[in-house]
Amino acid sequence: MGTVRMGEIQVSKHAGDELVARGLGSCIGLALIDRLSGVAGLAHVVLPESNGVEASDEPGKFADLAVPALVARMQKSGAVVRRCDAVIAGGAKMFDLGEMDIGARNAAAVKTGLARVGMTLRAAETGGNRGRTLRLTVGEFVVTVKEAGEEPVVLFDGTAPKRFARRTAEVAA
Amino acid sequence: VTPRYTELQLDALRELANIASGNAATALSQMLGREVGLNVPRVHALPLADAVDACGTPDDDVTGVVIPLDGDIAGVVLLLIEPRGAETLCRLLGVEAWSEIGESALREIGNILGTSCLNALASMTGLHLEPCPPHLTTDMLGAIVSSLALTQTASTELVLVLDSELEVADEPCSISFVLLPTAGGVTDLLTPLGLAEAA
Repeated sequence: MGTVRMGEIQVSKHAGDELVARGLGSCIGLALIDRLSGVAGLAHVVLPESNGVEASDEPGKFADLAVPALVARMQKSGAVVRRCDAVIAGGAKMFDLGEMDIGARNAAAVKTGLARVGMTLRAAETGGNRGRTLRLTVGEFVVTVKEAGEEPVVLFDGTAPKRFARRTAEVAA
Repeated sequence: VTPRYTELQLDALRELANIASGNAATALSQMLGREVGLNVPRVHALPLADAVDACGTPDDDVTGVVIPLDGDIAGVVLLLIEPRGAETLCRLLGVEAWSEIGESALREIGNILGTSCLNALASMTGLHLEPCPPHLTTDMLGAIVSSLALTQTASTELVLVLDSELEVADEPCSISFVLLPTAGGVTDLLTPLGLAEAA
């Protein structure tokens, strides 16, 4: 548990575990959280499309394969897809070297993948030209994003009241 | 297709890197009026994640000076300078660190080191190589190296990293001098040496 390197996926249901994608540039950190079953996972996505390349040793590398692979790992640990909250960070364009904007394509591909499995994107911090580190704490399910030389910012707080609870309360009122 | 390099090819690339970074060290020494030490370059052909780790800790802050190559070979020369090293360089050049003029001084260092490295590579290989204007950013090492490598290398290829350390004598300043060629660029470097066959 700990650092999720480029192309890796990690899933945990042990409260207190930290899953961290460090130094995201054009890469995307994709965090999925099912608060009810206590399962969370993180993929460190590198490129948008696999284009037929097999990447069994790097399941998180390509966005089109990473989303279903992360979802499958979450389900195996007991998560329910429709309850999952998704949070993404990264997809920056670090240098203006006239190349294709891989970061923007990565962000778009991850969003497409999430839409395909019917998952809700709760928070996103993408684009720009700064590197980021995404940190997910299992149990509290707090996701923070930190830029170089800055303090971490909370992107998602799993300790806030659950949506269905709030909705139930509204119905009762 | 994942290019694999033979020991002979890696030795040849290490020797090219050795001479190129030696030239860069001499240029830096003349610029600063200080002795500049140089270690034996490391040559890695690694998957992307390992190539980033070979350059340092992914979420450490570094100043990266990027010099894109123009001419016969595509690739970049990258200088990675720790914050303390960047401050030292600016002090030795008599400019304020983290100011506009400080950044411009570091860019100029990149320009001079890049040019001297490319001149060495060009004279050894007979290739035409020129530096483009440098880009500078201070950010997380992993974000800088991975984003650059991804623009240089196809997804399935190993990343070739030629990496040496320049140390300014008696000062807390070390510069990681990284040559990041494209896979095609590696073949082009090896061809004039008669070693391209197995690449």
